[in-house]
Amino acid sequence: MRIDIEDLHVAYAGRTVVAGARLIAEQGEITGLVGPNGSGKSTLLRTVYRHLRPTAGRVLLAGTDLRDLTPVRSARHVAALPQERGSDFELSVREVVAMGRTPYKRAFAGEDATDRDTVARALADVGMAEHAGRRFTALSGGERQRVLLARAFAQDPDVLVLDEPTNHLDIRHQVELLALLRAHRRTTLVSLHDLNAAASVCDRLHVLHAGAVVASGPPRDVLTPALMAQVFGVRAAVVDHPLTGDPLIAFDHRDPAADGNSTVPSPDLWDGAADRQSTHDDEGRKSDAAGVRLGTARRHTRR
Amino acid sequence: MVPLALVLAGGLLAALTAAVAWGSTSIPPAEVWSVVGRRLSGQAPRPGTDDLIVWQLRVPRALLAALVGAGLGLVGTAVQALVRNPLADPYLLGISNGASLGAVAALVLGIGAGGTLGLGLSGAAFAGALATFALVWAVARRGGGFAPLRLVLAGVAIGQFLSGFTSYLVLRAGDEQQTHSVLFWLMGSLGGANWQLLVVPAVTVPAALLWLQARARGLNALLMGDETAAGLGIDVGRLRRELFTVTSVLTGVLVAVSGAIAFVALMVPHVCRLLVGGDHRRLLPVSALCGALLLVVVDVVCRTAMDTQELPVGVVTSLLGAPALLYLLDRRLGSGS
Repeated sequence: MRIDIEDLHVAYAGRTVVAGARLIAEQGEITGLVGPNGSGKSTLLRTVYRHLRPTAGRVLLAGTDLRDLTPVRSARHVAALPQERGSDFELSVREVVAMGRTPYKRAFAGEDATDRDTVARALADVGMAEHAGRRFTALSGGERQRVLLARAFAQDPDVLVLDEPTNHLDIRHQVELLALLRAHRRTTLVSLHDLNAAASVCDRLHVLHAGAVVASGPPRDVLTPALMAQVFGVRAAVVDHPLTGDPLIAFDHRDPAADGNSTVPSPDLWDGAADRQSTHDDEGRKSDAAGVRLGTARRHTRR
Repeated sequence: MVPLALVLAGGLLAALTAAVAWGSTSIPPAEVWSVVGRRLSGQAPRPGTDDLIVWQLRVPRALLAALVGAGLGLVGTAVQALVRNPLADPYLLGISNGASLGAVAALVLGIGAGGTLGLGLSGAAFAGALATFALVWAVARRGGGFAPLRLVLAGVAIGQFLSGFTSYLVLRAGDEQQTHSVLFWLMGSLGGANWQLLVVPAVTVPAALLWLQARARGLNALLMGDETAAGLGIDVGRLRRELFTVTSVLTGVLVAVSGAIAFVALMVPHVCRLLVGGDHRRLLPVSALCGALLLVVVDVVCRTAMDTQELPVGVVTSLLGAPALLYLLDRRLGSGS
């Protein structure tokens, strides 16, 4: 099912955070939402999974306004993975995943065969089947996030909405989680901090800036050095990833974009540092002449 | 789950029998059941003191202990899910003290004496509970954050303030009824039990169990967070408001019949989570059974520990509960959560 967001305005804590955002998440595509902190990514997503109510505009699910559906009915189509981490209430991994069945169950109803199958499949899909009996809070950050994704899978949704799902995960777990999204592909709307991850995983990106979408399209078209400077305030070059061929954004971590509000010491200082570095390298080369083995050892220690 | 429930139900029946059999006058369990059997089957009671002691004094008291204990187990479980804080309970959050103040104010003003079943008293206690809960909630939420300890500290402070006020009202009015002393309202007691007093809790506690059980999945979802619950199709605002009301009603009813009993509502859900895990579909009925069992046993201890007089039930629950709270605090602060 496709999601259309039409001229969305959302206020949060008395402030208009999303102001006239419009975007489309196409059926079966992974749609990425990127933007600096405070650009309204989370607020927009919260409106899609109905934690927040729009002040104006609409979220359409396959052409139907979400607000025309009961919360239970829309939860059968849209599953969310918010940034919440849960609290310590002795819930097991399986119990957390089984919560995904909530929108399908009436009061007092027990689990039927469909529920059990769906939960078991969701656990297997994220590779946590062997950990079903463990306590949720005893898991590592990466495992927890996979279990929460399994809960969203157990909801058997047409649309997945994920808010920074790789936050606080180490790189291995980030890669694993994003690979799961690609492997169990369905209409997905995901906000990501890491632009390189977004460029690799998403079919289409929307860049949010001050509550509005300022650029949309395939990652390669959207993530240009000019946009990086204007929206994110950083200098970056975009090259081809040597392994995957995806766009690879190489940031200049030393100096923000020239047209941004620089708070960094004057460039002269950096030039000086670079000069000293090169002198040092010259010395290294001199010692290389004296003995190759010594030079190799030096290079190793420098790494 | 089912075997455990059967074990607990069997334990509760045994504890109820023991509660009726033991006391200043010992009555053999067989005699207890023979008296109860004659009464339940509508036969004329055998003349003598046994019938009086069993049917008029001890059975209502044991049943009141079971109902109040079950209610405390339920209200503790519900409040902990509502505020997403395993350290919460109506006593610690000051809600019980608010209910006490409401009841005492009604007595002093002469409102509570009206209803024969104590409905006026329950209503006033409910109003006090609801107002206090709302106040503690508002204070703890100020600034947007919702740290567990902040909530508990706000509850303790407001609860102490209210209990001071309650003490003043009771002392000023003069202690007309032994059962409605300061000790009754602030420490809790089951000494006022009679058949009439049982009616309101006998309706309210099972109704609350049914209501909560119907929303067990919603309670589970609340544990993960409001956003998660919303994503699962729960109307979080409405569920919160309803839980607010139900826990306040339950606290009001319990306090009106037994005063503010400490720590039972805190301890029971914790013990039960260790037994059956955190899923409310199992946790709610098991908490009700465990709470009933605990309070029946505690009341037996209260009646038999000293020869000369009875201990208020809150004395024993505090002796058990305060160390349990320290343990929980230590575990939570120690793990940095």
